[in-house]
Amino acid sequence: MKKRFFIKTKTIKQILALFSIALLVLTFACNNSDNDVEGDGTNDKVTIVITMIAKSSANPVFISAKTGAIKTAEALSEKYSKLKVVIDWRTPENESASEQALIIRDVVKNGSKAIIVSCSDEDTLTQAINYAVENGIAVMTFDSDAPNSKRFAFYGPDDLEMGKRLMNELAGLIDGKGKIAILGGNKTANNLQERVKGISQTAAEYPDIKIIGTYYHPETEANAIAVMNEVIKSNPDIKGLAMVGSWALFGEKLKSIIEPGKIKIVAVDALPVQLEYIEKNYVQVLLGQPTFTWGEISVQTVIDKIYLNKKVKEIIRLNTIPVSIENLGGWSRQLRAWGYKDIPEKYLIM
Amino acid sequence: MSGKEQHKTAPKDRIPNGQKFAYGLGSIVNNLLGGAIGYMSIVLNVGLGINPALVGTLQAIPRLTDALTDPVMGYISDNTRSRYGRRRPYIFVGAIFVGLVFALMWQLPEGYSEMFYFWFFLIGSIIFYLFYTMFATPWVALGYELTSDYHERTRLMGVMNFMGQFAWITLPWFYAFMENDRFFSDSVQGARTLAIIIGVFVALVGIMPAIFTKERFVGQDKEVKIKNKFVEGLKKNIALFFKGLLITIKRVEFLKLCAGTFFLFNGIMLVGAFSSYITIFYVCGGDKSMGANYMGLFGTVTTISTLAAIAGVTWISSKIGKRKTFIIATSIMFFGSLLKWFCYNPMVPWIVVIPAPFIAVGMGALFTLMGSMIADVCDLDELETGERREGMFGSIYWWMVKLGMAIAFGLSGFLLNGTGFVVDFGGAQTSSTFLWMRIVDVGIPAFGALVAIFSVASFKITEERSYEIRSELEKRRNKSIKVEKIAPNS
Repeated sequence: MKKRFFIKTKTIKQILALFSIALLVLTFACNNSDNDVEGDGTNDKVTIVITMIAKSSANPVFISAKTGAIKTAEALSEKYSKLKVVIDWRTPENESASEQALIIRDVVKNGSKAIIVSCSDEDTLTQAINYAVENGIAVMTFDSDAPNSKRFAFYGPDDLEMGKRLMNELAGLIDGKGKIAILGGNKTANNLQERVKGISQTAAEYPDIKIIGTYYHPETEANAIAVMNEVIKSNPDIKGLAMVGSWALFGEKLKSIIEPGKIKIVAVDALPVQLEYIEKNYVQVLLGQPTFTWGEISVQTVIDKIYLNKKVKEIIRLNTIPVSIENLGGWSRQLRAWGYKDIPEKYLIM
Repeated sequence: MSGKEQHKTAPKDRIPNGQKFAYGLGSIVNNLLGGAIGYMSIVLNVGLGINPALVGTLQAIPRLTDALTDPVMGYISDNTRSRYGRRRPYIFVGAIFVGLVFALMWQLPEGYSEMFYFWFFLIGSIIFYLFYTMFATPWVALGYELTSDYHERTRLMGVMNFMGQFAWITLPWFYAFMENDRFFSDSVQGARTLAIIIGVFVALVGIMPAIFTKERFVGQDKEVKIKNKFVEGLKKNIALFFKGLLITIKRVEFLKLCAGTFFLFNGIMLVGAFSSYITIFYVCGGDKSMGANYMGLFGTVTTISTLAAIAGVTWISSKIGKRKTFIIATSIMFFGSLLKWFCYNPMVPWIVVIPAPFIAVGMGALFTLMGSMIADVCDLDELETGERREGMFGSIYWWMVKLGMAIAFGLSGFLLNGTGFVVDFGGAQTSSTFLWMRIVDVGIPAFGALVAIFSVASFKITEERSYEIRSELEKRRNKSIKVEKIAPNS
């Protein structure tokens, strides 16, 4: 019995040896053509500096975008052993297109490989962007585009679609009938007027909804409140307000001119300071923009383009998120995760 | 404890540690093969651009073929008579070929169409699963028959389950390995190399149970000779197969174990994705990296706890019996499932890991005790039918587990949609969506645990009954051997 077992083991060893050799041959055969990645003999990391130029460093939406960019840079540096991504944050304290243009021209000299920029003014920045591109820097825009420039991609909302969505939300709140007004912000801002266009197009699909007017105003709380007050007083039977921006919700004044829930309001943007209006039913729906992804998606797209040599889309669309009392808690926690501060705890535990 | 006699394992019934270890190596291979395709399939989508729906189809179709091949393989193995035994030849050949096929099926050439890859991988998968069945079904059955002792079976299953956990520890690292740009230019090349490494490992380690274990029932049964022609023989075998299948699925004690496993295991599998979603989107407010860290911590705590639980369950079972141990362990898991409700707290995210050890106790107990209890059922079956059909029992049991997993994976997406989850909203889901996600995540495993406790509570093969069955079987076998011995002289 023992002898038989010995013979069997010997046979097995021979089979194992042959099989191991066969698999080793297979391993080399399958891999010898693709090993060039390791074969360059260098262990140096490629450092890619991405300069991030937002509109204003005082605006929390861009702080959140910065957080997104930095976190993504860290994740990419960890994922790719030969890559180090560094974010060079160069944002004016207050909005200034000319300052942004100066920064872009300066960046050309400092060794950045790429720029991601939210354009304060399309015309002012187009030339600066083209200058950077002509000097070998990849430029991508986010939030606010310069479509006639040589930037390779833009990440931001489809404003027409945003307007349509805003109108559909408002129509749902007023059961598809009644008078509404549009607060259109700055008449010369293309993105805002696209939103107004979207609202008007969609309102036309609701035969019982009547737009009493589109009201433009400078983009401040005081101006927005003044226009709202006038519209409400002159149209006591108004059912809803469609606001392409939420300037009226930056302070406390709105509370003094309307009763909660009497007029349905849908507005763009859902920042921490505006959440109380949802909680207290002054505003029913805010269309929130995932501002963290401005940084996240832009950095990822730049690396896809210049490091991984992938084809990237020229226009990458950002989806807005409707925020209501139903998801106020979730949205608040999401804002905290995106780097926003001072969010009341009562919302975080909802 | 109960005043009844506490049986001690006789030295002749002890499985040498070397054999236990060799059998346990099969568990690493079995789990590795079971999980590898799932963990590597992401490459088909991310690396080769195959539509996710097609990738899902690629994983579902072999489950259908398993439904036929598993019991057939169990039947073939049960009815094989060879000098090397009923199980070991298949384990040996199966391990080598499944390793080889696995290595080859991932050598996907570049630059072909989506449908080319689909058919290439589908054909490869079907062949892979055939050899996987050839390896796994006899290996499972071998575990049921390595010892006839009630407690030693649990120890063997404890070792098997303990060692098998190392595969589950390794599997989550596969994607990181394939994506590692230090070694590979892309994940497809990473998958090719990883598949070869796994193939070599499977072939070399998978044959160990065949080489180093000893079958107890080699040559003990009379050979069923079919002297008729091939077609008639085939007909008779098919008839015998279905007869055996019917007897197996009608065995009430076996069905109790199947029901217990199905509800307990699939309760957890069904909501596996939910825990991740709730942790990332509710507890961590959509912060994926923070959520991933907590999920990683949860996984580590679960793994360590499972290993400890397996050791604990094996020991306790030898004191109070399998049924009671299972009920206690599953009750702890039930408690752990309920605890999740309170531990999903966005203000204190780290407490999300607290339920992990409690849940791990149930999972650790499940496959340790179930394997051992099925072996007891095989004895009862032999007592009543005169046949040993570990292969059939094992194949049906594991097919039920695999089918349940496939159903669970398929249903979990629908369940998630049913809660109102919208992926684009990230952490900003509605309160009712989060509420329903938590209800499902807590409720389904808790319900599964209750059904499992209810199913197994009436399992009749106690320690005492098991030893009675064994005694009767041994008497019968001795009688049979004596008759055979005196027959030539008469």
